[in-house]
Amino acid sequence: MSAAPRARPAFGRSLLRLFTVQGSWNYERMQGVGMGVAEEPLLRDLRVAGNGAAYRAAVARGAHFFNAHPYLCGLAVGAAARAEHEGVPPDQVERLRTALCGPLGSLGDRLVWAGWLPFTSGLALIAVALGLGLPAILGFLVVFNAGHVALRWWALRAGWTHGVRVAVALRQPLLQRATAVLGPAMAFVVGAALPLVAQYLGSGFLGWSRVALAGVAALGFALLWWLRARLTGVRLGLVLLAVATLAGWLWP
Amino acid sequence: MSPELLLGLLAWGTLVGLDLVSVPQMMIARPLVAGPIAGAMLGDGWTGLTLGVLFELFQYEVLPVGAARYPEYGPATVAAVSAAHAAAGTLGLGLGALVGLITGMAGGVSLHAVRRLNARAVRRATAALEAGDARVLVRLHTAAILRDAARAAVVTALGLGLALLARTYLAGTISVRGVLLLDVAAVGSALAVGTAGTLRLVGRGQDLRWFAAGVVGGAAVAWLR
Repeated sequence: MSAAPRARPAFGRSLLRLFTVQGSWNYERMQGVGMGVAEEPLLRDLRVAGNGAAYRAAVARGAHFFNAHPYLCGLAVGAAARAEHEGVPPDQVERLRTALCGPLGSLGDRLVWAGWLPFTSGLALIAVALGLGLPAILGFLVVFNAGHVALRWWALRAGWTHGVRVAVALRQPLLQRATAVLGPAMAFVVGAALPLVAQYLGSGFLGWSRVALAGVAALGFALLWWLRARLTGVRLGLVLLAVATLAGWLWP
Repeated sequence: MSPELLLGLLAWGTLVGLDLVSVPQMMIARPLVAGPIAGAMLGDGWTGLTLGVLFELFQYEVLPVGAARYPEYGPATVAAVSAAHAAAGTLGLGLGALVGLITGMAGGVSLHAVRRLNARAVRRATAALEAGDARVLVRLHTAAILRDAARAAVVTALGLGLALLARTYLAGTISVRGVLLLDVAAVGSALAVGTAGTLRLVGRGQDLRWFAAGVVGGAAVAWLR
């Protein structure tokens, strides 16, 4: 049984809840509970239409296992809610959610974690190294979150617009172009940031300590590269700090 | 350090810890943001900014994909700034990095513990969830967010406690050369981790050429300054 969606679904409430989508992340349902919480406002029309059983069944389905990139979860929330309103069979809604996990995770990881975030963070590092200070940090927050909020909003609206045909939204030219451009842009910016940050952090070292700094950085990099399966950055840092503490006591 | 300032740092560290995974992921959890704000609170902008940059390099190693386990550098940076500020003029960066890395490790462990607790809570509420009880769903979610806030507060408190211990027992026992060695280890490891992390992020394809071009461009600007 289907209920016609009202003219203005509760997008605002759903979007606000999407900002907490990972709040109950766990090893059982991963983002499932958060997804259910975010989808629930969009399902209230089912209850208003006097279809309490359909509402409860949809809420239960909405909280099942889900895992994708948090900024793109709205796409699945909107699509699943639209499908519930259109009376799509329950197993098809479940399949839709399952099918979206992989593509949304992969796209979000490339677009945000390996694209937009290191790109904007790299720009901020460059700005700090060039002496811009706190305004660089504020700039990073504003620029990064402009993209962040826009992506979340677009995802929710696109999911609701396309429903079960949500794959169309993933082929959007702007999204494809952004993914293609952000990879090289991120690589260039973080590449440029590294020597500038090295200069910024190394400016206080003179004489033998500057040579030691270069040696430690090179040795650390080589160890991390060769032992990448076993050695993490935090372990390397702690070992080097322990060695330095010991050397400081032995060589006062 | 006054109790008001300590409480302020604890509140900031808690917000930063909450931002990492739960709410709202607006990247105040990045060390580059967490550090300078902590520094501004302490009236020590340089220390906050410098440790923020240092831990941002460590952060480049982390790709928060799926159920990946990783250190938590946000509250760690707040604690690091507190330690470095407290020891200003004697220990600085090295001591901050030491406190921050230990706190970061503890933060990673605590994230795993909270996820297990969340799973247990979900298991207990399975019947209500399968019945489509929206009130139980929202209560479960809210409780998990509060759990994460408590976790972030505990991690930050642990870090601030470590900072106090380091100031009390380490400052004054290490020679000037020892201090310099600690600083070399901290900055050297951060540069190594940042370089390795970004290279893994970039991969081997065409992006590697863009990365190399960036390194050349950055080095040229650094040389010209």
